[in-house]
Amino acid sequence: MSSESGATGADQAACTAAVLDATPDAALVSNLGVASYVLAGVEDRARNCYLWGSMGVTTPVGLGIALETDEQVTVLDGDGSTLLSLGALATVARHDPANLVVVVFDNGEFATTGGQPSGSELVDFAAVAEAVGLRAYGAASEEGFREAYDAAVAHDGAALVACEVAPVDPESRPTLDFPHIARRFREAMDGA
Amino acid sequence: MTWEGDVVDALAANGVTTVAYLPDTAVSSLLDRVESDDRFDTARLSREEEGVGVLAGTWLAGGRGALVCQSSGLATTINAFSSLSVPARIPLVALVTRRGDLDEFNAAQVPFGYGLEDVLDAIRVRNAAVEDPAEAGRRVGMAVRTAFSTREPYAVLLESTLTGAKDEF
Repeated sequence: MSSESGATGADQAACTAAVLDATPDAALVSNLGVASYVLAGVEDRARNCYLWGSMGVTTPVGLGIALETDEQVTVLDGDGSTLLSLGALATVARHDPANLVVVVFDNGEFATTGGQPSGSELVDFAAVAEAVGLRAYGAASEEGFREAYDAAVAHDGAALVACEVAPVDPESRPTLDFPHIARRFREAMDGA
Repeated sequence: MTWEGDVVDALAANGVTTVAYLPDTAVSSLLDRVESDDRFDTARLSREEEGVGVLAGTWLAGGRGALVCQSSGLATTINAFSSLSVPARIPLVALVTRRGDLDEFNAAQVPFGYGLEDVLDAIRVRNAAVEDPAEAGRRVGMAVRTAFSTREPYAVLLESTLTGAKDEF
């Protein structure tokens, strides 16, 4: 797999599409920036909760949804956001909801601020997750991601999938109407 | 009835389903009651900022969330309030034990604790203080009602005159 830049790693759009193939009804929470831009381009749907801010809080939003509902919840986080709040993985592990999968798309950079290195090359996110008590899987290709994601969904507890992806700069954007995103998502969930 | 019991009943009576918290001696009795009360799910946090996200998730999935933490912990939540709860109009109620003012012994608690209302006002998080134990339940209930009706976060500041300051003088 390679992007137009020629960097190595899985294609983030293909992996995002794989999430929707495997869990078509899942509530998806996407990190600000590339994760949300890619998701909006793959499929804009009511159960997409795109974030426009609160970097580092994406995974906690997914945890809160997962604790409130029995439905599948998948977080599409990034390496920069996860590094801002590694402690959140310990919180996820403490509650360990079986309906939560946290995907960390690791492109190695702060893509929305100009592609500066995030420092994630020093970090094994799957190992960090395992060390705080989470089940975790690693992937670096679309095929590997599909297998890891299926295993994470099937696991009887929360799980993390760390996937190395090539940096991308998608054109697609979610709506800038942030309250609309939240309201539409809530109305699409049971109990709203 | 204690003020803590009144507050717990006010949360439940106004539909709060989930309480996220970090422990604090000043609200240990309140948190013990919440933990042992079947009307709530609880989420113990590693950092208070996570609580704003977790309780946003609670609301996004149809519930109502309350955050319980100390003012020093609320200092970690400012980015989450100002770039998630406020602009996306995702409500929650924060019950914040307020350090940094009357009877505070520790200078490290003062700048944020004393300036708490100014910071919250600046990021458009409405807030009200509670000093009188007889008023605690009523004020918390009113905070929950207005937060979830207007779809905005609301912070209730539990003053040292209510909770009793830590005495290390």
